[in-house]
Amino acid sequence: MEDAQVVGMLVRRCVAGDAVAWEEIVQRYNRRIYNICYRFAGSADDAQDLTQEVFIKMYRTLNSYDVERSAFMTWVTTITRNLLVDHFRKSKQDRVTDSIDAAPSEHEDATPLSDKIQDRTPTPDASAQSRETRETVHRALQKLSPDLREAVILRDLQDMDYREIATVLRVPEGTVKSRINRGRAELARLLQRTYRQVM
Amino acid sequence: MAGESKNGMQCLEFEALLNEALDESLKGQKLENFQTHAWTCAVCGPLLAEADAGRRWLKSLAEVEPPINLMDNILVATSGLHTSRRHATTGAPLSDSWFERAREWASGLVNPVFAVARQPRFAMSFGMAFFSLSIGLSMTGVKASDLRHADLRPSAIKRAYYESTGRVVKYYENIRFVYQIESRMREFKRATTPAEPAPEQNQQQNEQQNRERKNNNTSGQPEQPRQERNYSQGESQPVLAAAPDIPPVAMVTTYRRFV
Ligand SMILES: [Zn+2]
Repeated sequence: MEDAQVVGMLVRRCVAGDAVAWEEIVQRYNRRIYNICYRFAGSADDAQDLTQEVFIKMYRTLNSYDVERSAFMTWVTTITRNLLVDHFRKSKQDRVTDSIDAAPSEHEDATPLSDKIQDRTPTPDASAQSRETRETVHRALQKLSPDLREAVILRDLQDMDYREIATVLRVPEGTVKSRINRGRAELARLLQRTYRQVM
Repeated sequence: MAGESKNGMQCLEFEALLNEALDESLKGQKLENFQTHAWTCAVCGPLLAEADAGRRWLKSLAEVEPPINLMDNILVATSGLHTSRRHATTGAPLSDSWFERAREWASGLVNPVFAVARQPRFAMSFGMAFFSLSIGLSMTGVKASDLRHADLRPSAIKRAYYESTGRVVKYYENIRFVYQIESRMREFKRATTPAEPAPEQNQQQNEQQNRERKNNNTSGQPEQPRQERNYSQGESQPVLAAAPDIPPVAMVTTYRRFV
């Protein structure tokens, strides 16, 4: 968890023009933002572009951040999420043609699912170590509607609590919980269907 | 589903407790009712199983490593500085650390080269090379101001690469086109004007000048360029008159029109 005081001081120093403080902020958050972008957008290139855009936006609007109003992490995640929404709108057409069996992404580096699954449907736990299976899960995640995808990413991959997610998504906590449940269940159904097709 | 009640719990209530149950924060009687409902309800049982499976699938996704140049790219795109992390110990100014070290490292490597390069004749060659490079860049549409605001995102770099390649190919095609037109026009002129009157027939004073020039011409070659220039200057068509004098700048105009 972030140390609110340290981050608050970094932000103040950064707004005052301290380049080292800005570097510290980039160092602290680039990994997290990159991961959110990668899991949402699907590709490493898009994730890199989007992460840069997030930091450019942060750099320009850092003086508007109010320490009293929200945690820095929530503010950063909100900026990230808003840019992801824009990105999704722009690349909607491309996404429609996406498939779980599409080209492998950079991080999981998998071959098509149909070449991999031979004998049995892996369970989530048994397959935790498999790079190919992670790639399949990553691709299935891209098939979820953006509302459900962002909810499960923030909860299950970023470990944010329901209240923080509700702030970022600007919806009630009940809606957040419902989207998380639906997202998880939908993902499981997609993966079940995928493995059943292959077998 | 919503209104159905099994073992003292409605499906709607079950769904509301689903997150807590998966977070393992559901305790006591609530947990018991929840479990009983899951075993007996044909809708909520599978929902619990799917949500649990989905959650575990997601948890199996490991955090990915950002590209190593990401942080540098971000810093360059925002504050315009590179990272000081690898070199600076505390809050030292950003620009000193990496630049000084890079210069120290590079000096051992390039000093002998610079010693040679400082000699006037090499300096002249370097100057010409730089001049040619800058002319080349400006002719292909690259401006220094464009470079300063260059977009460093990977996808933008890829795009810029393909755009530049396209421009160079178009530029080359345009130059070839201009030269082809020029040579065709020259051939056409030669073919249509076979008997050019000799200058000495009309102008006595020119005859003497020409004789003097021929004496100075040690190459032994016919004075082709002079004939061409004369031919063009006496021509009534403005296009032909301009053709041999087209400087590179005029070709850039042609290229831009095509792009
Ligand atoms: Zn039920």
